[in-house]
Amino acid sequence: MTEVQFLPQFPLTANPLALFGGMLLSGALTGELVRRVLNLPRITGYVLIGLTLGASGLDVLDARMLGYTRVFLDIGLGLVLFELGRRINFAWLLRDRWLAAMSLAESMLSFACMFGALRWLDVEPLYAAIAAAIGVSSSPAIVLLVARELRAEGQVTERALNLVAINSVVAFVLTTMLLSWIHREYQAGWFVILLHPLYILAGSCFLGLAASWLALKLAGWLGKRIELHAALLLGIVVLLVGAAEALKLSILLSLLTFGVLIGNMDREHKLMPVDVGRFSQIFFVVLFVASGALLHIGDLVAGGAVAAVYIAARFVGKSIGVLCFAHLSGIRAGSGGLLSIALLPMSGIALAIAQSTGTSYPGFSAKLSVIVLAATLILELIGPLAVQFALRRAGEAREE
Amino acid sequence: MPAKWNPELEFKPSRELSIGVELELQILNSRDYNLARDAGDLLALLERTPHPGAVKPEITESMIEVNTSVHMKFATLRAELLEIRDAVSKAAAQLNLRIAGGGSHPFHKWSDRRIYPTERFKHLLSVYGYLAKQFTVFGQHIHVGVPDGDTAIHLTHALSRYIPHFIALSASSPFQQGTDTDFQSSRLNTVSAFPLSGTLPLVHTWSEFVAYFEKMQRFGIVESMKDFYWDTRPKPEFGTVEIRVLDTPLTVERAAQLAAYAQTLAHYLLMQQPLPTSDDVYLVYKYNRFQACRYGVGGAYIDAQTQQRGTLQRDILDTLELLRPYARTLDTEAPLSALRAEAEASKSDAAWLREAYQKLGSLNDVARRQSEQWMGSPLNA
Repeated sequence: MTEVQFLPQFPLTANPLALFGGMLLSGALTGELVRRVLNLPRITGYVLIGLTLGASGLDVLDARMLGYTRVFLDIGLGLVLFELGRRINFAWLLRDRWLAAMSLAESMLSFACMFGALRWLDVEPLYAAIAAAIGVSSSPAIVLLVARELRAEGQVTERALNLVAINSVVAFVLTTMLLSWIHREYQAGWFVILLHPLYILAGSCFLGLAASWLALKLAGWLGKRIELHAALLLGIVVLLVGAAEALKLSILLSLLTFGVLIGNMDREHKLMPVDVGRFSQIFFVVLFVASGALLHIGDLVAGGAVAAVYIAARFVGKSIGVLCFAHLSGIRAGSGGLLSIALLPMSGIALAIAQSTGTSYPGFSAKLSVIVLAATLILELIGPLAVQFALRRAGEAREE
Repeated sequence: MPAKWNPELEFKPSRELSIGVELELQILNSRDYNLARDAGDLLALLERTPHPGAVKPEITESMIEVNTSVHMKFATLRAELLEIRDAVSKAAAQLNLRIAGGGSHPFHKWSDRRIYPTERFKHLLSVYGYLAKQFTVFGQHIHVGVPDGDTAIHLTHALSRYIPHFIALSASSPFQQGTDTDFQSSRLNTVSAFPLSGTLPLVHTWSEFVAYFEKMQRFGIVESMKDFYWDTRPKPEFGTVEIRVLDTPLTVERAAQLAAYAQTLAHYLLMQQPLPTSDDVYLVYKYNRFQACRYGVGGAYIDAQTQQRGTLQRDILDTLELLRPYARTLDTEAPLSALRAEAEASKSDAAWLREAYQKLGSLNDVARRQSEQWMGSPLNA
């Protein structure tokens, strides 16, 4: 048989590149189909094809297969967070303090409402708190992508993105702090309880800071050449994702810090406004196909009712927080309501947090997933629609 | 058949030599300093904030127009412009926007623009197609008050000789769509594309003008005075002559100085009546206008009356000299000497923008500097 060794061996082993290409292609095609036929956002199509191919459907994209694409997903996530971070402008938050107040209010009130609702449903305090903390964050990827797809621009879009960035950080800090609570629940030592969150928070922020410093130094040396700056930023984003992973730090916080600081530290305007999103689109498609594949329709049956209450409480909390400050922070009447709607999508990052907690403390994850995963599933499907509705209604989409 | 009485053509007298300014301004985002689309939110916020003058929408969502009230003195006009600037800047900063002067945005793409949703602007889009979006250029209009329609017609013709002065002194649109146009004021090329641009026809009295207008109306070419995009036009509704060739300067200071120049010049022209209205001015008009757009004060200038060919710089400096006594009576000596210094040094906003590009290396930075220049202190507050 030696003469046919050049032929492949069957069954074929999964190839990450073929998988990436397949997911990209199926996602892009379904996204376009969904847009043309149903006039829905493309993202809904990506999630739907993910659901179809994933555990709830044909089970082609199972956890093992998705493991092969992990690296691409991390890059996609890194790019989303970096781009989101770049939208945050400290000077703006200082100038429009009501916006800053709004962001804290909607984060805190949504946490309180979700926690209250879950306690009312007799969920144990620890699980209620973690689920509420996870729910504080709106999905950076969904809001950013729908805004990009609609080429939306304006006060609702900009403010939604700033609020999303801030509530993602709040959610992350809350969950990280609650991690220590889990440690206690699982009888970890005090040393671990204190040091683990501290390591993640300080380490990730430092990593983002170092990357910003490096990027600005190099940008100054490169001069004003947009293509060089694009390579520089993409390089550092991917490097940072890898470094965060290797150092067991948070990709979310590192990349967000990098995005935020690079803009706010650049006092001499050395860095050119590179549109990283143009390069990121392909990773985003795969990211959403994967998040669709990870969702289980079964969760909906198990946790649907609790999830509905959880979503309602979340929406109420966010809306009150936003509406209280909408008028004061200078936007038009009606924009506050649209802003609340735009914050509806829940983060796929919730999924990641729920699962990473699961890997450290199996058993805990199962309890949590009933609440969070069902809500994520619902909001991954409704969320893009909500954002599309809000941005179109605000007159900020660029379709005529 | 007599045309029906048209209230729009009734010339409402106003105080001779009163002045007012309109400025079309750029709304930029603070991320890459491209044009933003937030006119609606900015106008709504300004409606809730007390400020002098008026703020209005313009043809695309990336523009706003600010108007001063009527002034007799340069000093009060300047003060009001500064107040308006501060109010607009503060509101813009609250929305994380930037406001900039300059006749053109250096790198926006016209196809990205969106028409501001009013009936009139939608109508303009349906009539003019892409020209409506390309009309996202930014001008300063100066109104000079006149007592009656005949004087308005006279002054409009008399000013035409000086139109290149205003173009050169305000020129601030060297870049368009990401490219250096080689012009000092490229904005006027955009205006020239409109079929009703150009100049007032050679009518000599207000009643001749009304007859002309009604004929154009019967042809179905125009519906209202607004349809004429002339360089200088009588504005019966305000009782003024409106000079429309200026680029919005980079600062309100400069805008006020140019208004002072128009006021002083009008004073001289109405007092001295130095020029009989003649065809010859319009024979050289387009040539002189082009030279001013292309080369600014460095352009050539043909004096139709003396039939001499010289430079625009010389003609501006000679005119400023001639105006000295009139400047004294109107208290406009300071702004005029500021303009003189600029003209002597061949400086201009267009040159400033080109230098900024040389130094900073990107048009995003040019737009950023443009907004810092216009907004001044409120941005740092």
